[in-house]
Amino acid sequence: MGLGLLALRSSRASALSRFYRVLASQNPCNGVRGIVSTPELQNAEAAAAAAQPEPTPVIPPRTPVAGARVQFANPEDAIEVFVDGYPVKIPKGFTVLQACEVAGVDIPRFCYHSRLSVAGNCRMCLVEVEKSPKPVASCAMPALPGMKIKTDTPVAKKAREGVMEFLLMNHPLDCPICDQGGECDLQDQSMAFGSDRGRFTEMKRSVVDKNLGPLVKTVMTRCIQCTRCVRFATEVAGVQDLGMLGRGSGEEIGTYVEKLMTSELSGNVIDICPVGALTSKPFAFKARNWELKGTESIDVTDAVGSNIRIDSRGPEVMRIVPRLNEDINEEWISDKTRFCYDGLKRQRLNDPMIRGSDGRFKAVSWRDALAVVAEVVHQVKPEEIVGVAGQLSDAESMMALKDLLNKMGSNNVWCEGNGNLPQTDLRSGFLLNSNISGLEKADVFLLIGSQPRVEAPMVNARIRKTVRATQAKVGYIGPPTDFNYNHQHLGTGPQTLLEIAEGRHPFCSVLLNAKNPAIIVGAGLFERKDKDSVFSAVETIAKLGKVVRPDWNGLNVLLLNAAQAAALDLGLVPESSDSIESAKFLYLMGADDVNLEKLPADAFVVYQGHHGDRSVYRANVIFPASAFTEKEGTYENTEGCTQQTLPAVPTVGDARDDWKIIRALSEVAGVRLPYDTLGAIRARIKAVAPNLLHTDEREPAIDSTTLKPELFQKISMAPFGTSVENFYMTDSITRASKIMAQCSTMLLKK
Amino acid sequence: MAFNLKGIRVPPNSATLQEARNRTFDFFRQACRSIPTIMEIYNLHDVVTVSEIRSTISSEIRKNAHITNTKVIDMLLFKGMEELGNIVEHAKQRHHIIGQYVLGRRGLIQDVGDKDQDISDFLKKFYNSNYF
Repeated sequence: MGLGLLALRSSRASALSRFYRVLASQNPCNGVRGIVSTPELQNAEAAAAAAQPEPTPVIPPRTPVAGARVQFANPEDAIEVFVDGYPVKIPKGFTVLQACEVAGVDIPRFCYHSRLSVAGNCRMCLVEVEKSPKPVASCAMPALPGMKIKTDTPVAKKAREGVMEFLLMNHPLDCPICDQGGECDLQDQSMAFGSDRGRFTEMKRSVVDKNLGPLVKTVMTRCIQCTRCVRFATEVAGVQDLGMLGRGSGEEIGTYVEKLMTSELSGNVIDICPVGALTSKPFAFKARNWELKGTESIDVTDAVGSNIRIDSRGPEVMRIVPRLNEDINEEWISDKTRFCYDGLKRQRLNDPMIRGSDGRFKAVSWRDALAVVAEVVHQVKPEEIVGVAGQLSDAESMMALKDLLNKMGSNNVWCEGNGNLPQTDLRSGFLLNSNISGLEKADVFLLIGSQPRVEAPMVNARIRKTVRATQAKVGYIGPPTDFNYNHQHLGTGPQTLLEIAEGRHPFCSVLLNAKNPAIIVGAGLFERKDKDSVFSAVETIAKLGKVVRPDWNGLNVLLLNAAQAAALDLGLVPESSDSIESAKFLYLMGADDVNLEKLPADAFVVYQGHHGDRSVYRANVIFPASAFTEKEGTYENTEGCTQQTLPAVPTVGDARDDWKIIRALSEVAGVRLPYDTLGAIRARIKAVAPNLLHTDEREPAIDSTTLKPELFQKISMAPFGTSVENFYMTDSITRASKIMAQCSTMLLKK
Repeated sequence: MAFNLKGIRVPPNSATLQEARNRTFDFFRQACRSIPTIMEIYNLHDVVTVSEIRSTISSEIRKNAHITNTKVIDMLLFKGMEELGNIVEHAKQRHHIIGQYVLGRRGLIQDVGDKDQDISDFLKKFYNSNYF
């Protein structure tokens, strides 16, 4: 019989227990071995009783966990609790665990996650509270005034040890082959709080693995039933795919029927899983986390600019994981962001190439390729030179491209996705004015021609969060599409828009009664011929619903591509809308979605980019450039926040950075651009759009809808289209990715 | 011919810079004396002259002219001795000598000078690599 058990039984007679304690402390190797490694823990009550008369040592105040700060909405709401004898002030409604975090004590936990609802089923966060008969689960217990919380007492330590022992009872010992190894909460916490031996001798249970699709690998035997993934799927992702089945030892996580997890945010369950039950399928057995070099960068697959960390080993990107940014992506990223990285290894352009007379590309040196292009560009008239920036272009290269074409005498330069003649004079006309985190304040949403779930999943997650929290109403005008929250489908085209603008539609009353209405217009409408009249109809609605006020700007445009906002800020606007038809020299800087059907057959096409994608079929000369993981570039997201990517891996082959290629070409062509360094080109950008240099800051647009000129244009009744046909494949990187191809075949609803 | 440098080793340390300097001269003379042998065993008469080889050797030494640390000079001298020993002992093949000392470090690119004269520093670096 273990000494611990003996001690427990004898807790009624303190004299007897003291005897055992003395025995244990005097002779630790007396042959009777308890499970508990630290002798004083074997007799928790007695040790606590013995400790009481001693004066408690003064604990210096600690800084809050992860630099957390507390905001008091109302000074009367503050209550004071004592954590390990140290008083902290917290607002009403905080849990014991949050109070401990403010006091700088990190409580171990498995099931608790600050962005999900409280489950309280792992029991790892047990702490002792004075006058409470049992240890309490701190994640679910509200803090009360004057509560005396003790996190470091023998009772709390013993409780954690017990919980760890139960969790490890059925957890397989396969850490050496587990992908979570090295970043596993269970591993870390069993080292910190667990016992050094177990008493379990029977067989461990085993659970059948579930198939959750091409992205998430499951090893369900490792699951500790924290239900974080279930809560994430239902609360954040908004799909009811995952659930808890069975009771007791037969309890398991799974899809209720044999079904894949169809969510654009499904990859996040990999991050929130505290053990190795849900891991990344493409990353399985590829690398260990301590071999990886992390580079803090920005995602470019959509216009949100999610903050990411690129984990690389040598010249290879091994995985992409999210970084915390409360204003943009919180701590989630979309599946496209997370899993597009294998596209960076396929279809890459690595040498300058010239198409020979037989129609085949021949690899040449940079010297020859630049000389050929420089010669051709001087044989065409200036107005026949056209430049198009792609959807992944950074601000530096777009600035260089515009400067180069202007020096040649042409101003036909634009960024794809921005339509024919975009309105760039007023920044409020193309930005998400109420910013992404500001959308949480809105109580009515009107989505016009925008499908945020596929266009910008992180913005969609915000709208869903708002709808869940405040029952905000969502109205939608556009083709039928998938939503993961309650919405009203008002109509499919401008007809409904005009009805609302004229006040004839039932949704008008909802809009008028709203405190903070938000209108979100999709950037897909930029491509319409009648976009000016559509936008003026939207502005009429905004005026009607008082959407734009000094304290609230709810008139938003949701952009599609990472390059769009910076291109409009830099003024990449073409002179004429049909310049492609008359072009003789076309410079495509990563532009793959330009319609080249109307391009004259004798036009000379230069393609500068990192992937052999659509436009390469028409190109005469190829300049290989670096992808976003390989260069330092400035991107502006849809809300006007400027952020920078950092190089994580070296460039492929003989590729060069985009702006360097244009700078070199300008010199070979005899119109030398005046910047040689990234700093110099940024100084040039400062003269055009200074907000692009204020990194990680959002530059709000000054509202000036009243300044807009009156427009008289016939609105066409053609319904709004969808701008993103396939969520998983929208740009050259994702189109080259094998994982994204698998996702589109398996997960897209046909 | 039996190689007579075999027994000679660089003594552990040069006490002063002057001593290291003298040793460098000694090494250069030694190398110059073995040039006829090298020309003979590697059959270099039709590709290079004795004076060209001599100037290659001196330029290799002058490359390190800025070094003032006697320990480093001693180490470089030792490496030079090793290299000379290997060459004279016929431990290398003809193309090694031609590639390393006749064509020089720049390999087969010979006529870049006249092309690159009027281009900027940026473009020169651009042709070379992406990282500058």
